[in-house]
Amino acid sequence: MTTHPALPQGEFRDHLGLIAEMTRIFTSSHSFEAMAKAALERITHYVGAEASSMFMLDDQAQALVCTACFGPVNITGIRVPSTSGIVGRAVQTNQGQMVRDVRQDSDFGGLVDAKSGFTTKSILAAPLTSGRDRLGVIEIINKTEGNGLFSTDDLRLLETLAGAAALAIHNLRLTEKIVEQERERHELELAAEIQRDLLPQPGTKEFPIHGINVPARAVSGDFFDILPLSDGRIWFNVGDVSGKGMNAALLMAKTSSLFRCLAKSAEHPGQLLNAINNELCETNSHGMFVTIVAGLFDPATGTTRITNAGHEPPLLFDVVRGSFMSIPAEAPPLGIAAGIAGSGGFPVSEIDLKGGTLYVFTDGLTEATTFGGGMLGLDGARALIRDHAEESPDLRLKSIAGAVKLPGKPLRDDLTLLIVEDNAVRTTPLPPPPVDLAAATGQILRLRVPARPDRLKMVRAAAEQAASYCGCSPEWTLDLVMAVDEACQNIIRHAYGGNPEAGDIMVDFVRETDALAVLLMDFADPVDPATIKSRDLDDVRPGGLGVHLIKSVTDDCRFLPPPPGVGNLFKLTKRLASKVN
Amino acid sequence: MSIEIRNMNGTAVVALTGDVDLQTSPSVRQKLLESLDKYTRLVVDLGAVSYIDSSGVASLVEAFQVSRKKKAYFALASVSPAAMRVLSLARLDKIFTIHADVNAALAGQG
Repeated sequence: MTTHPALPQGEFRDHLGLIAEMTRIFTSSHSFEAMAKAALERITHYVGAEASSMFMLDDQAQALVCTACFGPVNITGIRVPSTSGIVGRAVQTNQGQMVRDVRQDSDFGGLVDAKSGFTTKSILAAPLTSGRDRLGVIEIINKTEGNGLFSTDDLRLLETLAGAAALAIHNLRLTEKIVEQERERHELELAAEIQRDLLPQPGTKEFPIHGINVPARAVSGDFFDILPLSDGRIWFNVGDVSGKGMNAALLMAKTSSLFRCLAKSAEHPGQLLNAINNELCETNSHGMFVTIVAGLFDPATGTTRITNAGHEPPLLFDVVRGSFMSIPAEAPPLGIAAGIAGSGGFPVSEIDLKGGTLYVFTDGLTEATTFGGGMLGLDGARALIRDHAEESPDLRLKSIAGAVKLPGKPLRDDLTLLIVEDNAVRTTPLPPPPVDLAAATGQILRLRVPARPDRLKMVRAAAEQAASYCGCSPEWTLDLVMAVDEACQNIIRHAYGGNPEAGDIMVDFVRETDALAVLLMDFADPVDPATIKSRDLDDVRPGGLGVHLIKSVTDDCRFLPPPPGVGNLFKLTKRLASKVN
Repeated sequence: MSIEIRNMNGTAVVALTGDVDLQTSPSVRQKLLESLDKYTRLVVDLGAVSYIDSSGVASLVEAFQVSRKKKAYFALASVSPAAMRVLSLARLDKIFTIHADVNAALAGQG
């Protein structure tokens, strides 16, 4: 700060010089505190007083807060009601106040003195006003020079300076606001860029899954993802985060990252969404939630496993018939309550697309405003899908999104649309080889043994021989042997209760057209199949492991009505070219 | 089916040969639990197992659980393809500590 020579006392006062200097202070500083402090010090010396301070109105205009001061005590931060005292009067009346002796003024409350220990004798106060905005007050305390009394000349000078100060404060605040807005805009741009990077790159025309996201604002609460696995299957999702703006965008980014990370180890979408839900609940405290449809599509079979967590029901469009099937939500939105699904996760639907196309979208589509002014609705969405069914995937997405995006108007809500096309040219399964059915079909081997553990090795040997007779691979054979062995164990343990003298097991190995069937019969009382349960994999008790193994390695296994004289009849079927291996 | 137990520098190495099924698994279970009574380190050599059923797997699971309670070392070694098939179907291949051979299992810490 520059130092100033002591100014001459008396009538010769270079007001103009002071005003020019103050204006320089006001315009040269970008910090409010530095500007205010410099101005206060200068004016206090100039008027010949003991102290000065600047009080600013708080956001609610309830209190005046000292933001800068000059003098023997530091009163910065002191708050007084905006209606009390001389400063309060200056603000309320929007007029300069000159109090030569505070003891003579009933409005003087001495609040600041009580807090600071300072003794106020006289006050000169001028309001800081910019246009209609009342900003605060600037005051000078205890005139010491001359006759010790403030003059109207002093007041006029203070009012003039207050006007310049108010303008400077106003400009400073405006600049700050613009800088803040610019920073926010820049942040939003960054967030939007991060979000765009999170969305998958468009695939080739032949790729079965495509998506589009049109944000209503810079950042979107919607998302979709497409994640191909090495085995050819493809994960996909479409989600919508409650709320808008930055928080929604962050939750979206989190959900979509969790999806990418957890999908690689999840077996099905119900399990995946359950895991994401539990993760989100652990950290989400803003009362926001996510509705989402997640699916695992197998282009080889044209089937998709899908779980809908509180989301707009996807539509399966049958191109040939022109008909729609809706897939409603069976799980609640994610992020609300953890641990609500069973150990297997949320419910999963298995859908055969049968050459059709699955449309998964957010309510930005169905709730979009149409040219007519109404909402598109589900019927409108169906009509759009029908109208553009013949277009290429990429064009179709753009057409449908374009149809609800009115030119020059922002969307009401983010819009996301994803399509899963069962477009693979699937060869129909080869017809069974032209073999002599009479010779190829029928009983290969029948075996009847006492239901005892020491006979199981013989049964396994028989199973191995039967598989060998059908020309099966060692791996296929091991699986069949295991299934037959475990089924026999169940007879020994459950049907006969472990009693080695209780009865026999009869096993028939039968060649069916494209499978090997094994019929296992006992002569005990009927077993209630419900009491033999598949083992829950989270549970390491050996309990139902046998049934789990049987189910894992066969294409079908079931109890059948037993023929007369037989207690229970259990049939295993394993296709000769089995997918299970 | 045979069970052979060797003491390898304080680690019990239980080698199973042949079929571990409903007939033989009770004795496998018994030998494994006995070994855990005497040793703090147990390696089960499944290299010569031609077949193992759910009851055999259950014996391994039980020994695994007991070893955890006792903070003993428990590992499987040179698991034969037939045994690995069952372990992976039961998703136990990710739970058990499995080493390529007995030497690697002996070197294992835990």
